[in-house]
Amino acid sequence: MERIHSLYLHVPFCTWVCKYCDFNAYAVLEGLIPAYVEALAREIEKAADDFPLGPLDTVFIGGGTPSLLTTAQLRRLMDRVRLIGLTPSAEITLEANPSNVTSEQVAGWLEAGVNRISIGVQSLQPDALRFLERLHSGTDAIAAIRTARAGGFSNINADLLYGLPGVDLARWLESLEAVLAEGVHHLSAYELTVESGTRLGQEVRTGLLHMPGDDEQLAEYWAAAERLQISGYEHYEISNWATPGFACRHNLAAWHYQPYLGCGAGAHSMFRIPNGSTERRWNIRGPHAYIRRIGESGQAVDGSEHLSPARARGEAAMIGVRLLEGTEAASDFPTKSRQLVAAGLLIEADGRVRLTQRGIELANQVGAMFLA
Amino acid sequence: MSTPTNLTRAISVIAHIDHGKTTLSDRLLEYTGTVAPRDMVEQVLDQLELERERGITIKAQAVRMLYKADDGQTYQINLIDTPGHVDFSYEVSRALAACDGAILVVDASQGIEAQTLANVHQALEHHLKIVPVVNKIDLPQANPELVREEIEKVIGLPADSVIFASARQGIGTKEILEAVVREVPPPTGDPTAPLRALIFDAKFDPYRGVVTYVRVLDGTLRKGLRAQMMQTGKAFEVDEVGIFRPERTPVEDLSAGEVGYLIANIRNVRDSRVGDTVTDAARPASAPLPGYRHVTPMVFAGLFPTDSDQYQQLKEALEKLQLNDAALVYEPETSAALGFGFRCGFLGLLHMEIVQERLEREFNLTLLGTAPTVEYRVKLRDGTETPVDNPDHLPNPADIESISEPMVLATIVVPSIYVGNMMQLSQERRGQYLNTVYEPGDRVVLTYRMPLAEIIHDYYDQLKSRSKGYASLDYELVGFEEANLVKLDVLVAGSPIDALSMIVERSKAQQQGRRLAEKLKTLIPRQLFEVPIQAAIGGKIVARETVPAMRKDVTAKCYGGDVTRKRKLLEKQKEGKKRLKRVGNVEIPQEAFMAVLSLD
Repeated sequence: MERIHSLYLHVPFCTWVCKYCDFNAYAVLEGLIPAYVEALAREIEKAADDFPLGPLDTVFIGGGTPSLLTTAQLRRLMDRVRLIGLTPSAEITLEANPSNVTSEQVAGWLEAGVNRISIGVQSLQPDALRFLERLHSGTDAIAAIRTARAGGFSNINADLLYGLPGVDLARWLESLEAVLAEGVHHLSAYELTVESGTRLGQEVRTGLLHMPGDDEQLAEYWAAAERLQISGYEHYEISNWATPGFACRHNLAAWHYQPYLGCGAGAHSMFRIPNGSTERRWNIRGPHAYIRRIGESGQAVDGSEHLSPARARGEAAMIGVRLLEGTEAASDFPTKSRQLVAAGLLIEADGRVRLTQRGIELANQVGAMFLA
Repeated sequence: MSTPTNLTRAISVIAHIDHGKTTLSDRLLEYTGTVAPRDMVEQVLDQLELERERGITIKAQAVRMLYKADDGQTYQINLIDTPGHVDFSYEVSRALAACDGAILVVDASQGIEAQTLANVHQALEHHLKIVPVVNKIDLPQANPELVREEIEKVIGLPADSVIFASARQGIGTKEILEAVVREVPPPTGDPTAPLRALIFDAKFDPYRGVVTYVRVLDGTLRKGLRAQMMQTGKAFEVDEVGIFRPERTPVEDLSAGEVGYLIANIRNVRDSRVGDTVTDAARPASAPLPGYRHVTPMVFAGLFPTDSDQYQQLKEALEKLQLNDAALVYEPETSAALGFGFRCGFLGLLHMEIVQERLEREFNLTLLGTAPTVEYRVKLRDGTETPVDNPDHLPNPADIESISEPMVLATIVVPSIYVGNMMQLSQERRGQYLNTVYEPGDRVVLTYRMPLAEIIHDYYDQLKSRSKGYASLDYELVGFEEANLVKLDVLVAGSPIDALSMIVERSKAQQQGRRLAEKLKTLIPRQLFEVPIQAAIGGKIVARETVPAMRKDVTAKCYGGDVTRKRKLLEKQKEGKKRLKRVGNVEIPQEAFMAVLSLD
């Protein structure tokens, strides 16, 4: 198995689960956090024995809402991680909800070793935040960015959502503008995706809510892309932009088809086998069950799949093509690449293919082509 | 166990579809102890899985029952269950020819319908004694008195001979059996004459070869005899004769009047044709039984594997299916759009559906069927005539002197309030009005002469929907008639799609072209690029529509935890495309090829 240099830790707790969210996240289970942190620490310890792990170049603590952890809990986890070994310039990201970003917390995160913070701003429009069921205001979100920066963070990401019902292009750009004015280093702009299992999905299905059309959503996307480019952000993945040197290394590793270990409830891991095949496995989703399983055996794997070298190559191309610099992974599929070039979805140059503007809009069609 | 001829009966059950024929047959089997109630699978006689699912009979069945009547005698009753669909009316006629009597089942709430009449006429043609039964009298909407009156007035059977029954509840079963032994005459054949046995069905058994269903009319059929088919001239040594109880049970011989089967190492049902006469090669009868008809297909369609690798499998599947289905014909066909496949001939639309479904289900194929068409007769300027069963093969218009199309005599039975709708529909479909007969029970029988092509184009569904489901239809082929027809071509993304061509009446061609283009626009999914759809007559574009290009298909998030799910989503998306046929650059679904059938 190839050596693993990326670690993902999942914290599945939230004060409130927003209506569009289909992540593995739970409200009203905060009482479990202490036991969960212990279980997570134990899983990391055991994984360090079981897998060729480290030194770690990236650590990503995501959720849920990892900013709900106390400084002591976070330190407990990071102490465990440090035993695996970190590279001198390791990128250590924590996802934070604007409501939890206080100067005390910020100081604690930095002290625990976190050096990149990702803030879930989503929108600055009051009606949009209400619609999304976010518990913070736009002012809170801006304040959170400022607090993080003032506290010493020099690598800050903001997450924004576009394609929101009731928010037109002008108001979307207003939110974007205000966030850019805060000088964030990285920006993720996601189209609001209607997932079937969520309350949003139900509202759309039953006709209570109408989502904006494809044309509107694409207009907002491209307008944002243009605006970000003017401010010197590099568009490096379909939904991600960064100022030079600030692309998220943790995610880049996954897009470059590097292996990673995921710990925590519902976390996914990806292993590369020297013969070219890929193994994916995932933990049990429920925090209670996760804690029990870790207590019993130190691991909580719920399922796995093995991809033959051929399928793994297809998957690598499917993922890699989302990077705007393009990918070499598609070189295994010259015929399909040629068809996609002919269809105007890909450009081929220097042994790699990359998406055209139209290719970005139809990236799933491109990705599907590379699958068996 | 042999029964004296005077205690033998051969009967059939006839009914309009869904009037409860098969359920009634089941009750008779139960009541006579032929099948123990605990072994009773619903609809014992419908053996094909497909038949059971659809609740219809496709193949004829035969079973021997023993019934101890009130007169103290034990009768042998041979029950022949006939197919219940207009596509199989020839098989019905042969099954009836093998009988001496018929139980006529009429639904107590539906009353007499088109096929009731068609069946009664057939039964009377075969001089069958009819035992009328009003079924489903237990249903709340039943009106048995009215239906009894209808039977007397329309069919001319005395009202007091009508038996009320509920096959579902077993009401009337004994009365029906008593009427059968009392009313239906015993067979009149001569047991000492040379053998004449009528084939009324044949089935292929992978272990035994063809099992031929026969009724012996004269002489005796026994094992070891050399059976000669009088129409095909072929002869086979009989390995086994037997009866159905209802499973096959070998017996020593079948004598005049008896119904059963013979097995003679026949490898193809084509050599055991329904309607043919079996005789003894050593002592042949002087003439075959009357009424044999060589069954010819009425509608034709192309069947193509969506995955061209399945061509060989399709070929083998058709060969196997044909062993059991003498009415199915096919020959290889090459379509520029769809690749290699087969042009198949069927008895009708139901037959076509059944064949396609059986090929897909029993042979695990994914098929694309083109729209069914009739067989035209095209007279060329050089004086020759050529049959055309594929619109794309229509000769160059400049070479055509005239085109004739098959015509049918259509009988529609409908409540009087829908007569206007039926007339309007039939006129839209180029029907020539012939006759109206008003019958009791507020029922009207309309007859039209109309092109078969119009019937297969959604006529039946329209008939049903414009009469709230009340109208029923029966038709028979009555010859060919010249018509002013042209070929309508369809171009998708600039390329002509031969499998979408259709032959239409000139005066309607432009309108049909427009409708077809509009319909295809809704059926062809968005592709990566814009897809123009054009309809053309003789090279002149008469309609154009455009399927806009796919606008957006992109997932916002794809991180480590999303990969498996996202990949599966895309794999599923890809799997769905396998049902589409790739024609050039465009992926076209099966429904598009059927669009021509319903352009109203």
